[in-house]
Amino acid sequence: MVRYTIQRIVYMIITLLIIATATFFLMKLLPGSPLQNTERLSPEQQQIILDKYGLNDPLPEQYVNYMVGLAKGDLGLSFQYDNRPVTQILGDRIGPSALLGFQAMVLGTFLGLLIGIIAAIKHNTWLDYGSTFLAVLGISIPSFVFAGLLQYYVGVKLEWLPVALWGEYKHTILPTLALTVFVVATIARFMRTEMLEILNSDYILLAKAKGISQTSTVVKHAVRNALIPIVTILGPMTVGVMTGSLVVERIFAVPGLGEQFVLSINTNDYTVIMGITLFFSALFIGVIFLVDILYGIIDPRIRLAGGKK
Amino acid sequence: MSKILEVKDLHVSFNTHGGEVQAVRGVDFHLDKGETLAIVGESGSGKSVTTKAIMRLIPNPPGFIKGGEMLFEGKDLAKLPEKDMQKIRGKDISMIFQDPMTSLNPTMTIGKQIMEPLVKHQNMSKNDARKRAIELLKLVGLPSPETRFKQYPHQFSGGQRQRVVIAIALACNPKILIADEPTTALDVTIQAQILELMKDLQTKIDTSIIFITHDLGVVANVADRVAVMYGGQIVETGTVDEIFYDPRHPYTWGLIGSMPTTETEGEQELVAIPGTPPDLLNPPKGDAFALRSEYALKVDFEQEPPYYQVSDTHYVKSWLLHPSAPKVEPPEIVKLRHRQMPSNYKEPVLVEGVRS
Amino acid sequence: MEANKKKLDQLSPELFQPQKASGDESEKISRPSLNFWQDSWIRLRKNKGAIAGIVITAIIIFFALFGPMMNEYKFSDQNIRHAKLPPKIEALSGISWLPFDGKDADGFDVYESRQIKETYWFGTDDLGRDLWTRTWNGTRVSLYIGILAAIIDFIIGISYGGISAYYGGKVDDIMQRIIEILVGIPNLIVVILFILIFEPGIFSITMAMVITGWTGMARIVRGQVLQLKNQEFVLASRTLGATSNRLIFKHLLPNVMGPVIITTMFTVPAAIYTEAFLSFIGLGIAPPRASLGSLVNEGYRSIQSFPHMMLVPSAVISLVILSFNLMADGLRDALDPKMRK
Repeated sequence: MVRYTIQRIVYMIITLLIIATATFFLMKLLPGSPLQNTERLSPEQQQIILDKYGLNDPLPEQYVNYMVGLAKGDLGLSFQYDNRPVTQILGDRIGPSALLGFQAMVLGTFLGLLIGIIAAIKHNTWLDYGSTFLAVLGISIPSFVFAGLLQYYVGVKLEWLPVALWGEYKHTILPTLALTVFVVATIARFMRTEMLEILNSDYILLAKAKGISQTSTVVKHAVRNALIPIVTILGPMTVGVMTGSLVVERIFAVPGLGEQFVLSINTNDYTVIMGITLFFSALFIGVIFLVDILYGIIDPRIRLAGGKK
Repeated sequence: MSKILEVKDLHVSFNTHGGEVQAVRGVDFHLDKGETLAIVGESGSGKSVTTKAIMRLIPNPPGFIKGGEMLFEGKDLAKLPEKDMQKIRGKDISMIFQDPMTSLNPTMTIGKQIMEPLVKHQNMSKNDARKRAIELLKLVGLPSPETRFKQYPHQFSGGQRQRVVIAIALACNPKILIADEPTTALDVTIQAQILELMKDLQTKIDTSIIFITHDLGVVANVADRVAVMYGGQIVETGTVDEIFYDPRHPYTWGLIGSMPTTETEGEQELVAIPGTPPDLLNPPKGDAFALRSEYALKVDFEQEPPYYQVSDTHYVKSWLLHPSAPKVEPPEIVKLRHRQMPSNYKEPVLVEGVRS
Repeated sequence: MEANKKKLDQLSPELFQPQKASGDESEKISRPSLNFWQDSWIRLRKNKGAIAGIVITAIIIFFALFGPMMNEYKFSDQNIRHAKLPPKIEALSGISWLPFDGKDADGFDVYESRQIKETYWFGTDDLGRDLWTRTWNGTRVSLYIGILAAIIDFIIGISYGGISAYYGGKVDDIMQRIIEILVGIPNLIVVILFILIFEPGIFSITMAMVITGWTGMARIVRGQVLQLKNQEFVLASRTLGATSNRLIFKHLLPNVMGPVIITTMFTVPAAIYTEAFLSFIGLGIAPPRASLGSLVNEGYRSIQSFPHMMLVPSAVISLVILSFNLMADGLRDALDPKMRK
């Protein structure tokens, strides 16, 4: 188990290094520079600015500086916002995104599990067909469509909730809902499939043969076993929420990382784009790593056999 | 000898896309206190479905009990409400399944799995249940029970897991234990151990056993009485001696004849039963075995044979025992084993169903 | 009892003549034997969701191909005087609960007030372009991108996965490590970066999706081939004298094709979604060309007053993705031999 953990950590670091390097070289390829937003400057003034950003140094030196900077947590300066450190921009923006993401994951997982379990227990009834259909709808309708619809019908027509912007808690409701749909749908489908397979297994039959009630069997035996593989989709789920946040934040004008990302794309602020890219990548890799370790802990077959399944 | 379970005219069917599959078509048998009844037959004969029906474990849909009674302690199990059935399962009637690899919950310690019926049926406290579970582990022959208690199924071998399953089944000292091919998935040597264990426990706990198997060797080892099933019906039933030394139904002849023994000579031919089991979606009109039998008569294709009683305990469902039927001889290899049964009647007697 | 006995005694001795069943009858299996594909097809037919998916997809493809030709407008024709008109279909304009009566969100008959005689079936956008034509053109583009991406994924994925599994050993190890690292990078980020470098366009968008999309297929193909290489039925077939060809075509391919087809079917809606997503954040197809995503993006700007501009392409794109998902789901259930009843 320990050996496995160390192996995963090594992978994680290698991947991050590769991504950082790739990011660096990509940045060099992108046609943007700190000069793009300034008025016409004399060549000397241009050189001074380029020097400040270290863009006149030879490439290898730039790379080393860059990697060292990363290690220290320095992501460079924004092209767009007049020398504000990228890290500062990220720090300001991460709050709302984290809140929305967290709410969506928690609410989505809870609802998704519930729906999945019920659909499996009531297999082949209308409850099952209905929830399966809703789940397919949920993963089919793009998040921006859903967000737009929510905004229009709930915000504009019904005026139950604010249409956009940020400030009080109620501003988080619609964006959270828009993000939650995808989570609920994916988890519900997955849980249903897992539960159905488990409910058909021999050990559930044996549990019944022991005289255990239906509820007990489902909860203590079936659900517990079904929850284990759910952990494995947390990785893709995180990505889904991250990408969803890009559009949802834009639609609801939430001042989060996603909105910043889109803004920076439109203003060619490449240092910020790279900074956020690195952040998202690191987050994703971190989640995958955690999931791997978690899986090894909660599945006794792996925990006590000491290996990967 | 008191009867502890009586099954009368049981019919079990399954609704499938293709139609109604009649898995069990009128089965009568009983179980006496303290005895071991073996149910033999090939795959698809209905033996598993019958016992699952007794426990009311047939998934519904698509399965359902079409008719008949299953009398246990004055109650008809076929009609008992689910809540009452739950009180009986695991406590008065227990079951063990064929595949020990999949019978246990892989993410729950086996200790907990043994404690479940104890807590549920006997209202034991966690502590008492734990103690009792460890006792049970000792009883089924697992060394270091205290350590084993906290372990998970994947840390046991197949034979050991089956012992655990037996421990679970016997936890509440059930009156009836149904064993559905418990040794089929195990090595032969382990098989022998498990059978010994079961016989030993039977005397200790005084439980009656219904043992399903397709292996006649196992039958010879453990059974007191035998019921032979084919095509969803019982075609012959009797004591173990009667079935082995004086079988009367052609199918039973086939089964006995296909079994080599240590006395089988080199040139003797074993009997092979040609053909395949009947399609229970459209059960044949008369005797289900007629299509594969060398001894079939015209009437076998028209009407189902009635039961004939050969002794107090020996019943045969075949037209061959009708007075007008030609006298037939069983295959050589079966004849060689023949022994005269002192309790036989002079002539077979026509009866309604299997009684005793 | 007595009556029964009597009846039995009355049975004619004739009936007790031996009669053996013929050999064939005893071996007869009454259900017709179906091969894997026939069996799957039957099960697919029974899956209502899958049928709905197939029907909807067929309808959409029909309109994507022939829709723009059905009226006289071209997708880039602008007519500012006709800007921002709600949908109107002559034949349905009398039915008030259908949204085709030419009235806007407030119930105001826009066509009448501006005295416009021509009808626009899906309305117009803010530059007066016919949304019917643009929507179906956009559908063409979206479908094209989706299917192209799926095909390229298919080719790369099968090759990579097949080679990796066929050679096994060190080769397999290295190839898998590469995939593991690639998978560690969030797809969308790579896509976005790619487009930033290569400028948005149909081809660059497709290539961007393909760069990371093939890993799923490769893994599945590899998994299947590895599993099959060692399965007993391959050994059994060889023992019975099957040639390599027969092995590959009758045994390995059918087993691999199942998951491969299903994965491909799931790739299409994912690609369409990604493209739409890119359009929505400004990295998509540039006007005047349209894709469903860019139409949704354009329409979103006017959502408060002219919801139809967003609703129409949203509905179409949702239906496309939904129907592909339904079909892929149905296929997956149908091709799974364990679900045979």
